[in-house]
Amino acid sequence: MRPEALKGHLDGMLLAALEPGPRHGYAIMEALRAGSSGQFDLPTGTIYPALRRLERAGLVAGTWSEVGGRRRRVYELTPAGRHMLDTERGSWRQFSAAVTAMLEPAPLPVTS
Amino acid sequence: MTGGPGGQLVEDYLAEVGARLPAPARERAGILAELRSGLLDAVDAYRDARLSGPDAADEAHAAAAAADDAAAADAAAAIEEFGDPGLIAAAFGPGLALGQARRVALTLLVTGPLVGLLWATAATASHMGSRQAPPWQWVGALPGSLMVFPLAAAIAIAVWTALFTVAATGRATRWLPDRPRLAPGTAAVAGFGAAGADVALFVLLASELAVAPGRLAAVPAAAAALASAIRLFLAGRAACRCLTTRAALAGH
Repeated sequence: MRPEALKGHLDGMLLAALEPGPRHGYAIMEALRAGSSGQFDLPTGTIYPALRRLERAGLVAGTWSEVGGRRRRVYELTPAGRHMLDTERGSWRQFSAAVTAMLEPAPLPVTS
Repeated sequence: MTGGPGGQLVEDYLAEVGARLPAPARERAGILAELRSGLLDAVDAYRDARLSGPDAADEAHAAAAAADDAAAADAAAAIEEFGDPGLIAAAFGPGLALGQARRVALTLLVTGPLVGLLWATAATASHMGSRQAPPWQWVGALPGSLMVFPLAAAIAIAVWTALFTVAATGRATRWLPDRPRLAPGTAAVAGFGAAGADVALFVLLASELAVAPGRLAAVPAAAAALASAIRLFLAGRAACRCLTTRAALAGH
């Protein structure tokens, strides 16, 4: 899947990747890949600016910590981030239902 | 992995990204530290995959024979996964622009009252404006008094655009449309507004010097003028830099 196709949805997916618990940047990328069965294969470096944007908006909180002998910046959802994730989910369900209704072939009319 | 050919590849890549990041040194160091951590995780993931793959035994044997080559190959794969340095640096651009605009606006909001206080002190010490009449009726104050209105306008513009910039670059970004060029633009207006206020203050001072030089309290007036001169230079430069940043974000 091309990165442009994710435009507008990346923030929601990053929030979803953090829903199970705190993760560092590379673990978030791996979660995106695993969760999408490899469909979302962005350049890994591009998720770090996105995480910083979410942090500035108060949707995630980042802290430096020592994990596995390496200094990492670990992110976790804030209460505002959880609320935003719920909102994003609701919007996506509405949107995807509408698009599916339009794109799926209409059932053939029943003739007797 | 911290050294060897693989480590050198990682450091070269980070240096290339860092050279394209328009950020203050501290912020750049933080970004690069995080990228380095992620890159080393990626290198580890490639190494683990190589060592645990179906041909792991052969690979391990080959890797032992050419450990540096294997480490370099892992690093190269991780770097390719991370993306082109220009792409990564550009992706940080909008966020860095917001940070720059916020710093400029906050600096103006903090220093503005200090500069104003110095001018108020100079005016009080010089008995300027103590007369019970509007500025346009001050005896001997023309044409300087005419600058009071542009001064008030410049201060109002600087304050409101700086406040807007601070509001638009913080938590509010979660609700605002993604327009990264807006904040550098408003910060530039705030900077030019502050510089305009300083110019107006200098015109007022010059008119006062021309009309009634003996009435000015030299030390407070000189201190206020010095503060305004410094701010005029810094605010003008910051505003120009914000405009440059805004222009660089033309594709966003």
